[in-house]
Amino acid sequence: MSELPEYKLDRTFDAPRELVWRAWTDPEILNRWYGPNIETIIHQFDLKPGGSWLNEMKMGGNSDFSKMVFQEVTPPKKLVWHHCSTDANWVVASSSMMPNWPRKLLTTVLFEEKGDKTSVCLTQVPLDATDAEIACFAEAMANMDHGWGAGYTILDEIFSELQAKG
Amino acid sequence: MEQHSYMNAQPNLDAIFAALADPTRRAILSRLADGQASVNEIAAPFKMSQPAVSKHLKVLERAGLIERDIDEQRRPARLKAREMAAAVEWLTQFKAFWGASFDQLDDVLLDMKLTQDKESEHE
Repeated sequence: MSELPEYKLDRTFDAPRELVWRAWTDPEILNRWYGPNIETIIHQFDLKPGGSWLNEMKMGGNSDFSKMVFQEVTPPKKLVWHHCSTDANWVVASSSMMPNWPRKLLTTVLFEEKGDKTSVCLTQVPLDATDAEIACFAEAMANMDHGWGAGYTILDEIFSELQAKG
Repeated sequence: MEQHSYMNAQPNLDAIFAALADPTRRAILSRLADGQASVNEIAAPFKMSQPAVSKHLKVLERAGLIERDIDEQRRPARLKAREMAAAVEWLTQFKAFWGASFDQLDDVLLDMKLTQDKESEHE
C-alpha cells in the first residue's frame, strides 16, 4: 500500500509545556484560539480516549461542524484524535462544498519540551478514506507544497483581468 | 437560456487542480476571462486542432471551471470564476487554519503567562 498523504505543521511556542498542554485541553482556553478569526463554540469536550470534542465554528451566517474523537490522551506529551466533518447533528458527513475532502483525518499532536519553550508538531492524514478522498487530499497537499502555484496564479490572473474590465 | 454543465455545481478539488495543472488549460481559462468564446476562437492562438481543444474544454467543464451552452451550434464556453474561487478558497482556508490558529495560540499563551506571573506576585 502506498503511503498516505500527510499535512504537517511544526511550531515552537514561547511557553512551558504544562501551559501549552492546558491551552489545548481546557475548552475555555481552546475556544479562544482554535479557528482563525471566527467564533468557536465547543459544545462538548470529554478529554479521554473515546470521548468527544464537538466543535462549531461560525462563519458569517453559516456554521462548520466537526467532531473530534480522542484516541490517546497522554499529558502533557501527546494527543491523538479522529477529526470528523459532520452535519449539524454531529453525524459524520462530507462537506457540501468539497465532497471529496476526507471526512475523517487522523490527527496527532506531539508536545516536546525545548528548554522554557515547547515545540508542537501536528500531523493529519486521511482515515478510512475512499480513493477519491485520498487523491483529493494528496492533490491539496501537493499544491500546498508548491506554493499553490497553479490555482493561485490562474485566479490572480483571472481576477485582475475581470477587475480591469470592471 | 438555460445553462448546463457537465457536473453539478459542487466543486471537486481533485478535478480542479488536475485541470489547472496543464499550461494549455490555464491559457484557455485566461482567454475565457476575456469573455466567452467558441472552440474555433479558442483554438486559433494555440496551433491546436479543434478536437484537441475540445478535449481540454471537456476536462475544464468536468472540473466545473467552465460552462457551455448546449443549445447553440457554436457551444461557446464561459468561465465559472465563482466555482473556481470557491475551491481555491477552501484550500486557502485549510492551509491557513492551523497556521492562523497557532498565531492566536501564541497570544493566548502570552496572556496565560502574564496572568500566572500576576498570581504568583500576590502569593
